[in-house]
Amino acid sequence: MALTITCPICGKRNGYEFRFGGEEKGPRPVEKDLTPQSWCDYVHMNNCVAGVQEEWWFHKDGCGSWFSIYRDTTTNYEVEKMEVANNEQA
Amino acid sequence: MNRLNALPTLQIDPSRKISFIYRNKQYYGVEGDTVATALYSNGIRIFARSLKYHRPRGIYSLDGECSNTCMEVDGIPNVRCENTLLKDGMIVKEQNVVGSLENDRMSFIDKIDWMMPAGFYYSTMHKPAKIWPIAMKQIRKVAGLGVLSPEFKMTGKYDEIFPTADVCVIGGGPAGMSAALEASDKGLRVILLESRSVLGGFFEYRSHEYKEGQSYHDRAKELSAQVEGAEKIRVFTNASMIGTYNNNLVTGFQIGGKNDSFDERYMEIRAISVIVATGCIERPLLFENNERPGIMQMGCALRMAHTYGLVPGDTAVFSIGHDLGIETAICLHDLGVKIACVADIRKSGQASKLVAQLTERNIPFLTGWVATKAHGKKHIKKVTLATLEGRQPTNYDCDLLVASAGLTPLTSGITVAKGTVKYDGHTGCFLPDKMPAKMYAAGRIMGFDDALSIESSGRLAGCRAALDCEACSTTELSDAKNQLDGLPDPAAGCKLVIAPVEGRKSFICFDEDTTIKNINQAIEKGFDVPELIKRFTSAGTGPGQGGIPGHNLPLYVAKYQGMSDVSIRSTNVRPPVIPTLIATYAGSNHSMFKRTPMDEMQRNDGGIFRNIGVWQRARYFSSDLSCKNEIENVRSNVGILDGSTLGKFRIFGPDAVKALERVFVSDISKIKEGRIKYSAMCNDDGCVIDDGVLIKQGENDYYFTTSTGRAGSTIEWIRYHTRYDDWDFHMVNLTDSMGVINLSGPNARKVLEKIVDIDMSNTAFGFSEYKEFQLDSTIPVRCMRLGFVGELSYELHVPSSYMKTVWLMLGEAGKEYNIQNFGVEAQNVLRMEKCHIILGQESEQRTNLLDVGLGFLWNRNKTEAKTVGAVALRQAENDQTRLKLVAFKMENKGRAPRDGALIVDKKVRGYICTARDSFTLKEGVGMALVEGDLSKNGTRLEIYEDECGDDRIYGEVVPMPLYDPKGIRMKM
Ligand SMILES: [Zn+2]
Repeated sequence: MALTITCPICGKRNGYEFRFGGEEKGPRPVEKDLTPQSWCDYVHMNNCVAGVQEEWWFHKDGCGSWFSIYRDTTTNYEVEKMEVANNEQA
Repeated sequence: MNRLNALPTLQIDPSRKISFIYRNKQYYGVEGDTVATALYSNGIRIFARSLKYHRPRGIYSLDGECSNTCMEVDGIPNVRCENTLLKDGMIVKEQNVVGSLENDRMSFIDKIDWMMPAGFYYSTMHKPAKIWPIAMKQIRKVAGLGVLSPEFKMTGKYDEIFPTADVCVIGGGPAGMSAALEASDKGLRVILLESRSVLGGFFEYRSHEYKEGQSYHDRAKELSAQVEGAEKIRVFTNASMIGTYNNNLVTGFQIGGKNDSFDERYMEIRAISVIVATGCIERPLLFENNERPGIMQMGCALRMAHTYGLVPGDTAVFSIGHDLGIETAICLHDLGVKIACVADIRKSGQASKLVAQLTERNIPFLTGWVATKAHGKKHIKKVTLATLEGRQPTNYDCDLLVASAGLTPLTSGITVAKGTVKYDGHTGCFLPDKMPAKMYAAGRIMGFDDALSIESSGRLAGCRAALDCEACSTTELSDAKNQLDGLPDPAAGCKLVIAPVEGRKSFICFDEDTTIKNINQAIEKGFDVPELIKRFTSAGTGPGQGGIPGHNLPLYVAKYQGMSDVSIRSTNVRPPVIPTLIATYAGSNHSMFKRTPMDEMQRNDGGIFRNIGVWQRARYFSSDLSCKNEIENVRSNVGILDGSTLGKFRIFGPDAVKALERVFVSDISKIKEGRIKYSAMCNDDGCVIDDGVLIKQGENDYYFTTSTGRAGSTIEWIRYHTRYDDWDFHMVNLTDSMGVINLSGPNARKVLEKIVDIDMSNTAFGFSEYKEFQLDSTIPVRCMRLGFVGELSYELHVPSSYMKTVWLMLGEAGKEYNIQNFGVEAQNVLRMEKCHIILGQESEQRTNLLDVGLGFLWNRNKTEAKTVGAVALRQAENDQTRLKLVAFKMENKGRAPRDGALIVDKKVRGYICTARDSFTLKEGVGMALVEGDLSKNGTRLEIYEDECGDDRIYGEVVPMPLYDPKGIRMKM
């Protein structure tokens, strides 16, 4: 409820306006060599990071776009992409 | 009781009487009264009986910090009367008593308190385990305060608002007002919350001198006039903060006054920065019988007189630890109260001006003395005072004891947002330590005692908040800082933890009847942290939300354990920090449903409407809910149905086909113009989520329908599953701008031909084909030949604005055939007989495309498309354990089972999706999802209905479809 999300089109808005779209897991894998296990992992398994993760959001009560943000799951604060990159380097 | 009526500080209007009922008798208060002050003015002194021991309780804080004045008001139990504004006709009742508040027959429990040590229930009632159910019944009889009548219905208007501001200031005292003014002077939009009905806080009710020739009260009025005159400050009075969160969200609720459109409203305020200026409450003094009626806090006694015009006693004794106590004694003396003694816990540090005023008035003044015991059964009669070491105990007769250890900051606004507080040895208080981002403290909450420092800290906080909003220069900020630095620092506070007593009847928590003795017992059992002791003894878990024990509990635990100051840990506060009605959270119940363009006309035709998803739809057209006439009319003649709730979309652009192939299981590239393609969508588990038809309108331009329930999330779904692909396509949701008319029955063609000027013959416009034409050379129609109900059928997609016209044209044309409306229920039966599924009825969350027999839609060769669901479908293809959709008919022409009835043998083997007594087939039929081995034709199904006991009904699996197996009728 206290969450705010920054939509690339509409700016920082109340979290109520958005729908969560899950963790960033990369594009859909090529179907050919998928096993039930690896497919299930792609669809259902999550890292559930306690910390910063990249995740998808949909601006349902706004412009209707999907985009990803970085959010600290322990504080619910959005994190700038730059900060994430810097921390990973350090 | 006569009111003082000449004080400038009064917030009541004694000339305007308000009547209310208490114990079935009529009483009167005056405008501005709370329920508690109105009762007090009528001589009521006992307001409640305590939770466990049924001890008498009276007015203590006036701010709802304990349950002492909890009563039943207008059927709502546990209302804190001391901060509930009196309204005309209120019905007030006592609670938690056997007999009356004056003579509660349960009060004997107070004498057997030794039987109930801390953790009594936890440690006794479970051995042997058999005892618990019996014990529980007995405990439930006596536990709790108020009782909610099962017949009670909440009345009143509840609303909600979600305002935004640059700066939100919590607390409308001198610091909060100064902060708000500072921020608004810098051009910012400010929201100011004040829980009382007037601004002014700690200044508002005081008549002492703020500066030469101006009282605190006058200063409060001066500031509040400025605030009310400031255009950019939006003031909410009677508005309590109940929670603060990160990203500077503040929640609260406001109580409406006479002229407001709501009784209470929930507030959710989003600001760029937040200032917490909630000030202080008082720290209760711990001594024997410290909660007898007649004992009250300093601010309470002063506000009783100054705000409500009520003299709180005839003869008063003061046992206090703050200058406000001395000030109160002087004020009450001047209002005619006899002050027997003022005993200050502090040995030094009092303002000399105040001490001089005591001397002038010949009021006995002791320093280093404290109350140790209150006497009197139902109301205080005398008090024992002693030195801090417990020597020279001396009794004083009195009917009012003002008792307070001093002030303590109300920090919940900070800690709930995950800020921290730290014990400060100088003031003896928990002061704000680490603040959440863009949140600032101001005023007395920071320990300031000096009036100018308080205001100055407010202005500084206002500057800091303005800096966050980029509306303040660093010079302005440092000026504000320097100004505060030049003013007095926080004063030393009273650090007495407990009077020199053993503590059997010294209450640390009034709500839960927790005594010092209970705390000792908990510590001796090994609980060492205040937060755990709070849990074990339940101190601080009552309606006051820790207001009374919040400060004393950690102090006492530290003292008992001989800890140093630095390691004193406060207990946690959680939202809602002020008890809030569930009704306030719920807000008002808006009935928000969409209506189709045909809504009014169908209602005029006798349609019976139901809420279906986000829509209101005509479900029946007669009181015969089996819809016999509607069904038979479609099967033998022609019926008309409003299908406007269907999801309708256009998708176009170079990559439109790719996007459709991603989400639909079929091969979209093969759709030919003029033909209709029925297809379905799955999720990544292969479970079928939607079905609909697609038509090709032009190159890379498609029109498709979805089920009513999925219309709202279709665009989201398609965009989600193509979010990595950077494809070039666009979608338009036409659900509301297009209406749909379904014309079905053997006479449908004859009706339609009359208004259409193209060839409608079966060879020119066959089943599963699509045509566009205009009616009257004006109205564009997309017409599809479908067969959902199993008859000759046309679906007309028409712009919403033309819907009524087309409907009327068809009605006119169909007159000679006696065309009739049919509703959603008739359609449901018709399509069920044809075994056409409705997703959500013939499927549940785990049902995949193959289970419902739609596998033929799936094109398994388009792996490049990465179709959503394809991988899982391939993996599920040979799974024999899945439920399968079957048709069945009842044995021996028996009645159809209810939807949702279970298929059983020794265990549950499936369930009935839809079943009806079919007028067409003249028997009970339906569809069911059953385990694979029950899906063969001829299998006997044993059906269990709710509450059927040992009775079962039986059906038999038969081939699909049940009606017109060769599909002649829809193709004729
Ligand atoms: Zn947006």
